[in-house]
Amino acid sequence: MTDRLWLLIPELVLLAGAVSCAILGVSRSVAIRRLLPAATVVTLLVALAASVFVYVPGAVEAATGPGAVPLPWLGRAVIPITVVVGLVLVLVQAGFVDRVYEMAVASGRTTFDPLRSARGEYYVFFLLSMAGLMLTCAAPDLIWLFLALELTSLPTYVMVAMSRDDRRAQEAAMKYFYLGAMSAAMFLFGFALLYGATGTMVLGDMQAVLAGRMADTGSIGSLAVIGLLLSVLGIGFKLAAVPMHLYAPDVYEGAAAQVTAFLGFVPKASGAIALMLILSLTGWTEEGGSLPPAVLITLWLMAVLTMTLGNIGALLQSNVKRMLAYSSISHSGYMLIGIIAGPGAGFAAVLVYLLAYGLGNTATFAVLASLRAGDHEVESIDDLAGLREKHPGLAWAMAISAGSLLGFPPLMGFWGKLLLFIAGVASGHLVLIVIAGINSAISAWYYLRLVALPLTGTPSSTSGSIERRPYEGPRMAAVACTVLLICLPLLLGSIMSQASDAVVTVDELRNSAGVDE
Amino acid sequence: MIGYAMAITKASAGVPAVPAAEAIMAPELSWAGLILLLPLLSLILCGLCAAAKVTSKLPAVITATALAGAFVTSVFLYLNYQPPGDVIPLLDWMNISWGDGQFESFSANFALYIDSLSLLWIMFVTGLGTLITIYASEYMEPDLGKGYSRFFAGVSVFLFAMAALVLSDNLLMLYLGWEGVGFASYWLIGYYYQRPAAVAAAKKAFIVNRIGDLGLALAVYLIWTTFGTVQYDELMTVLEDGDYRAAFEGWTVSAIPFLLMLAAFGKSAQLPLYVWLPDAMEGPTPVSALIHAATMVTAGIYLVARTYPLFLLEPVSLHVVAWVGGLTALLAATIGMAQYDIKRIMAYSTVSQLGYMFLGLGVLTTYGAAYHVFTHAFFKAVLFLTCGAIMHGFAGQLDLRHLSGLRHMRGWRITAWTMFIGCLCLAGFPFTSGYFSKDAILAEAFVTQGPGFEILGWIAIFTAGLTAYYTFRVWFRVCAGPVAYEPGDELHGEDDHGGEFHPHAPRLAINGVLVLIALGALVAAVPYFMSNTADEHLAGGWVADMVHDSTAREGIPGFHGDAHAGHGDAHPTIFGADPHVAMYWISGTVGMIGLLFAAWLHLWRRSQADAIKAWLLHRAWIGWLPRAMERKWYVDEVYHALIRAPLWILGHILYAFDRFIIDGLLVDSVARIPRGVARCLQPLQSGAVQAMAIVMVGGAAIILLLMALFMQFGWFGGQA
Repeated sequence: MTDRLWLLIPELVLLAGAVSCAILGVSRSVAIRRLLPAATVVTLLVALAASVFVYVPGAVEAATGPGAVPLPWLGRAVIPITVVVGLVLVLVQAGFVDRVYEMAVASGRTTFDPLRSARGEYYVFFLLSMAGLMLTCAAPDLIWLFLALELTSLPTYVMVAMSRDDRRAQEAAMKYFYLGAMSAAMFLFGFALLYGATGTMVLGDMQAVLAGRMADTGSIGSLAVIGLLLSVLGIGFKLAAVPMHLYAPDVYEGAAAQVTAFLGFVPKASGAIALMLILSLTGWTEEGGSLPPAVLITLWLMAVLTMTLGNIGALLQSNVKRMLAYSSISHSGYMLIGIIAGPGAGFAAVLVYLLAYGLGNTATFAVLASLRAGDHEVESIDDLAGLREKHPGLAWAMAISAGSLLGFPPLMGFWGKLLLFIAGVASGHLVLIVIAGINSAISAWYYLRLVALPLTGTPSSTSGSIERRPYEGPRMAAVACTVLLICLPLLLGSIMSQASDAVVTVDELRNSAGVDE
Repeated sequence: MIGYAMAITKASAGVPAVPAAEAIMAPELSWAGLILLLPLLSLILCGLCAAAKVTSKLPAVITATALAGAFVTSVFLYLNYQPPGDVIPLLDWMNISWGDGQFESFSANFALYIDSLSLLWIMFVTGLGTLITIYASEYMEPDLGKGYSRFFAGVSVFLFAMAALVLSDNLLMLYLGWEGVGFASYWLIGYYYQRPAAVAAAKKAFIVNRIGDLGLALAVYLIWTTFGTVQYDELMTVLEDGDYRAAFEGWTVSAIPFLLMLAAFGKSAQLPLYVWLPDAMEGPTPVSALIHAATMVTAGIYLVARTYPLFLLEPVSLHVVAWVGGLTALLAATIGMAQYDIKRIMAYSTVSQLGYMFLGLGVLTTYGAAYHVFTHAFFKAVLFLTCGAIMHGFAGQLDLRHLSGLRHMRGWRITAWTMFIGCLCLAGFPFTSGYFSKDAILAEAFVTQGPGFEILGWIAIFTAGLTAYYTFRVWFRVCAGPVAYEPGDELHGEDDHGGEFHPHAPRLAINGVLVLIALGALVAAVPYFMSNTADEHLAGGWVADMVHDSTAREGIPGFHGDAHAGHGDAHPTIFGADPHVAMYWISGTVGMIGLLFAAWLHLWRRSQADAIKAWLLHRAWIGWLPRAMERKWYVDEVYHALIRAPLWILGHILYAFDRFIIDGLLVDSVARIPRGVARCLQPLQSGAVQAMAIVMVGGAAIILLLMALFMQFGWFGGQA
């Protein structure tokens, strides 16, 4: 157990950071409350540093010992990706959390009341959700996996509700919570069936049982298949994959842009990772084995429907946030290609894509978060027309991040998509890749509007009234993401090798450790 | 002759005669990355200077220091150099694979390929870059605080991209560098962006280069599909083993050299793509000297030399290179004879000399081509820099009819005499560096067997005479004769002293650099006499050594050892003598004739020259010749009529087609389909949470039901 704890040091760091944020947040001193974003940043960086020391070859024992997980090194890539995107996400949040109340306190209209202040809580939820994401990849059994998934999601429900003083945010939070609970019930039911089919909750043992059954009878049994299907569909909610995608547009639109940026990455990443874990239970490895046909067909359908419906939905929108919400659904469809392509290249491609998508998505929302039209957020896409004239930096950030999401070379999004497609072709799913290619072409229709309108459009009367918000955080986040999107392809080689090292299976790890000794 | 013929026949069978050298991975040399890093750093610092509105010469100091550092690093690299060279990995970039086979992976990393050829190039690129930056620090003075930082940032971009081009270990990084120098060239030609002519010239250079870049992009792609790699060392191994894809061998192997050639002709300004280079003289003169004379335009030669084994696979490609080079040399020389703008004359002479270099590549003397690149870099830099000094001092005056007798004027003697040295080298005056390097090419044209190579050789000799004439036409007009001058149209307040124009002579930075580079141009003859270390059969000294350890080794006289060394009866002759020996006399004589013609017409009997010209112009049977030469053989007009006008019309037709047929009929109707579908689906998105829950659970239930049925009845040909 101490060995397992060793692997959990980064998560423990986040937990400690969350506790300290809770304490800092109720301080009477404004200066201390202002430290919260910095404390969050420090926590994330310490977690990153810890992960570097945790995932060393010497920790192989911990990773391959009793109760080992199917993909033990996953955290090695997921934690850095989470931290990089997390850092820009903190920047997006900085200055906006609980702003109204803080201004009231600063102006002396009210005195500070710890019970009414929400700034500390907000960062606590932020860190807890991130911790949930990291715990997902370390899950040794189904209960842990369930709790980690819910730890990722529960804080986000509150964050949506807290994001602004607006009935739409409350409504979005309610919808998100109810539907999230429903999906949790669905995959919990799936987990229960898996337990019934195998008689164990431990992922490693379950994998052995299912692999043994596969070897004996050529199938893992209907009960286990139905369990897997329910789990996949339920976890599909985290990814916003069809048919569990319906909540996404309403919730993304209802929440403030800062929180939407968060929603677009953290739950999605945890969903993708949980899918990888659940699917490797079938003994599916790089060397051999395959998914049960029913699961494969389900995933295939989900991928095709998700990207197609996401893109078609995005085509229709004139509201920027709704459009980006639909487009983020389609990105889940692309990620499912990597999941279908399987362990090894496919999973590694998903990890790289998560990074590319996370940065692109955060950048677009950061641009929206740093603009305002009067008291409101920017709603219509036409409001962005001619943004370049007043805010050239933001216009370029929007254009470049939309280009990256579209997959325009040489930006990071292009490489992410390319790796997914290569993995798909290599695993023989040519039809799927053709459909994905057509979808990419459809997505160009609306992404290119986001490139062209801010840069070349002529400002209209409404877009002329767009102003920059007074705080710097989102703007810095947008610029940072944009720079990363341009520069990261230069490090593509090392990113790819990190990602493929991270998806090594426990068997491979045991074999190589055995060879070393 | 037999040696060369053998090289070609063996090579065309897919087996290069000589095993390619295996370069060694040398991560311990990664300090060589400084050559790339320093210009990049200087770019960033110049950018900061521009942002901080620095009004001092700080950007020049930064750039010169960085480039000097890069030069010192290159020299250290040369001193450390051991044949057959090293690959220095810097940064992992792309390693994608989708299988284990030869054609199922693609890798291109940021790594440096250090062999003698890249060292030769990087040393003169960084060395001349440093000197010309120092020159520019004084030349660009009028722009202090305005475009000064922008200018030096552009120079840094250029050096960075050029270093990446020359040092890259794979064709993709070379391509990046190739695009980078094209961009830097656009940036710097358009430096005076308020002048419409400069903007037009920048655009012209960029667009014409795109045609070549298309060739390079396609060539890189075909090389990858045919040989399965874009890394030089792997490529050489594949060529050596001959195990490339047989299915494509038929046409791709033949197509690749032609595509590479297109790229090289674009960048190095050869027929039919040379038209951008003369116009590029709109840029500041240091740029013309550095980019458009000494370094960037030789990238095409470098590309061909670097991929020489690919050219040897398709002998016809080398014949085309030789003929295009020879004809470009002649055409550009005839145009240069009739121009009045001294900078343009130098530009045409650059095009002409680049033609010689391609001729050298085509007639299998990579050594001669590389040596001519090397010497030309120095003497052409001197010529441009002296033109720049004159332009700077005489308020933009470049017309040789309005300048005379510079060598008698105070403060202009260094300019006049360094220009004289440059002219001697360019004219191929005996025992100057240009004489030896040009002879190596001329002689080889008579030695190597090829379609009409002997005619080509005589064309090249005739062109050498024209070169001597137009070169000294400039010098005798501008520097000799009685003192007389008129200012140009860029008068500054400082030049105007009570209504009378006083040219301001160059000062220390310009004069110092002129003297240094002129000395370099003279000293560049020395390598010819240095002994060969690599191979005793080699002729041609140090430069041949530098080419010997590289991919271009097949084209060195004497490389094929015994067959050539004892050529005897098989060797073709001119007037019964060995061309290598005879050429010293022939080219020396032709050069002197050209020089004497120039002296007669432009120094001793200037009035007679005008009379002769008037006489020529009024004779119908010959009058068209000088007129056509002065109008540059109407090439721009022909291009305008044949390419630009049809494209303009086509563009409008396509625009109308796009606007009304594609957009109006197709796109809008196609776009209506998904929109229509989306409208149908929209009622599902009513926003009520119950409806959402029903759709979500219902969807999941339908999928589960389908899968259950599927497992039960084994639909889709399978079961659980």
